[in-house]
Amino acid sequence: MRSSMLPGLCKLGCASNSAKPFFGSLSGARLRANGILTAYENKELSYFIRMEEQTMNNTPLVQLENVSRIYQQGKVQVAAVTEFSLKVQAGEFSVLCGPSGSGKTTILNLIGALDEPTLGKVRLEGRDLAELGRSGLARLRRDRIGFVFQSYNLNPVLTACENAEFVLALQNIPFAERRRRVMAVLAEVGMAELAERRPDELSGGQQQRVAIARAIVSHPAIVLADEPTANVDSATADAILDLMVKLNREQGITFLFSTHDQRVMDRAHRLIHLRDGRLERDEVRG
Amino acid sequence: MQLATMAWRTLMRSKRRSVITAFSVAFGVLLSVTFTASGDYAYTNMINTSAVMGLGHLSVEHQDYQDTPTLDKRLLDAEAVQQKALQIPGVTAAQVRIMGQAMFASGAKSVGGAFIAIDPARETPAHNIFLRTLMEGRLFSAGEEHGVVVGAKMAEKLNLRLGKKLIFTMTDKDGELVSELGRVSGIFKTGDDSVDGTVVLLPLALVRKALGYEPSAASLVAIFLADHRQAVPIKTTLARLWVKSQDIGVLTWQESQPDLAGLIKVDRLFNYLLQFLVGLVIAAGIMNTLLMSVMERRREFGVMMALGMMPGQVVRLVLLESCWLGILGLILGVIITTPWFFYMATVGLDFSRQIGEDYSAGGVLVDPVMKFRLYRESALWIAGAVFSLTLVAGIFPAFKAGRTTPVENLKQG
Repeated sequence: MRSSMLPGLCKLGCASNSAKPFFGSLSGARLRANGILTAYENKELSYFIRMEEQTMNNTPLVQLENVSRIYQQGKVQVAAVTEFSLKVQAGEFSVLCGPSGSGKTTILNLIGALDEPTLGKVRLEGRDLAELGRSGLARLRRDRIGFVFQSYNLNPVLTACENAEFVLALQNIPFAERRRRVMAVLAEVGMAELAERRPDELSGGQQQRVAIARAIVSHPAIVLADEPTANVDSATADAILDLMVKLNREQGITFLFSTHDQRVMDRAHRLIHLRDGRLERDEVRG
Repeated sequence: MQLATMAWRTLMRSKRRSVITAFSVAFGVLLSVTFTASGDYAYTNMINTSAVMGLGHLSVEHQDYQDTPTLDKRLLDAEAVQQKALQIPGVTAAQVRIMGQAMFASGAKSVGGAFIAIDPARETPAHNIFLRTLMEGRLFSAGEEHGVVVGAKMAEKLNLRLGKKLIFTMTDKDGELVSELGRVSGIFKTGDDSVDGTVVLLPLALVRKALGYEPSAASLVAIFLADHRQAVPIKTTLARLWVKSQDIGVLTWQESQPDLAGLIKVDRLFNYLLQFLVGLVIAAGIMNTLLMSVMERRREFGVMMALGMMPGQVVRLVLLESCWLGILGLILGVIITTPWFFYMATVGLDFSRQIGEDYSAGGVLVDPVMKFRLYRESALWIAGAVFSLTLVAGIFPAFKAGRTTPVENLKQG
């Protein structure tokens, strides 16, 4: 079994409650015993099994429980988010939308373990993020969360390939395995032929594709995208969004956006409307 | 992607700034080599000069001779000591000598002074500064029982010329006054009036007879080394040879010339202090540059930490940049220092017009030509110190980068 087949298995598992017998008959232990899986592939299989179990147990992938985030700005306290609760299931393609200052980016930062709430709890895969220290949160971000930023934020001294494999390098994946996976993902996002170019040799859209590759290459639990189409033209934005929809549909990658771009909202399964740091309404589409 | 490669590429992103900073490190290397090499040359020169002025790099003598250098304190079998010493690796020569105080008289005049009794068959100019600086005449030969060599100042005081008689009076091993007659065969001039006016070379055989010494007795055996830095380990080796003898002591040049040793120690410490202060200034500049670079890249660090880079890895990344700066600085330092060092090691700077030819310090003549000499250990020490200083300069910026939170960094433009 090759790891490229595992996402397909996950899709099967996520889409159907009858997947449990399928996974049961292909247990990691049996495959290891047969020497079929490498240690890394075994880890990936465990991930997909865990995702499958979560779906079947209806455990939210992300859970915010009465979260508030209050900043001190000089002598004034500013509440960016107030008593906000949210559940995001695995496989969602959801959007946080609202006017500027509504708390979208703050919520993404809280889910992404970049910030901590003043009140309330943030859980990722059932784990309370408050229990983790700086290093634990860094490991969580490295292994479970992918980020796509508004301004791409590629490292200017690394090539497209090196940028995309950055997280895998942090995970100490061996070089050969790393390269194989990254080139596959770059091909998926249409950047395989430009893999050796540096960011200053790529267009905005190309850089964002590399950023998406970087976000998904380690099979994170969730990809958080903060205004990913803000700095690209319409055609490029559509192409990028279609790519993300395809990744969500085919590989079951969970996407949560922060945006007020209508094109993103049109493609979303769920719109979470915010105003002044509070939930205004939660709109689930068919 | 290796952190080291990332660090290097980050430095090369701002080539001009990195090269300028590396040049400040290189300048530190140049200064450090200048201070250290000029010191090494001067100290080695002074130590070797003091050695050839009488006592050698090491001296084997009577245990109490250093405290009370009277002529009754002697080695009974100095010849045997000399033979043993010559067998030790690192020893280039060993000279049997008798040294003491005497009155020197010629005609109606007399002066007090010191004599060094030498064996003309075995003494060489390489180990005797007075033979090296002969300006008139020659050293007395083995057959010339009564030959003497005097300093130019003494010759002037006593109105001596080649062939003139000189009477010297000293106290023998029994405390009795004895006198002998000598005839001037040579006149030396070291340039130091205090030396030229007091030191006289006498034949070893004549002095032994006059003092009533045993046939092989002498005040000391002066031992000369290929490298004066080996004085202490070779002393240990020598001392083991006579561990059972209570009367024989071995002294390094530091022990027999404490004034010189003290002067060198103080000068070296001052040298190190100066280098340290210069190093601090350079390190402050490096730290400032690295800090600027870190502050400019806060958003970059924020992204890396958001993607899962540990704070420790961020610290390592910045320290690696510091390392690369140190390596680049060392390489540039070698490039700019080599021609300067080569010139100073071969030609040097002549300060004789400023300090004169006869400048002395710690009782030893100082070469007015400033040259360089760099021992391998000193070169390694300089490289290590400069590199370490660069690394230390990177610590604060590295920790500054590692202590910030990703969300703070991501807010930066």
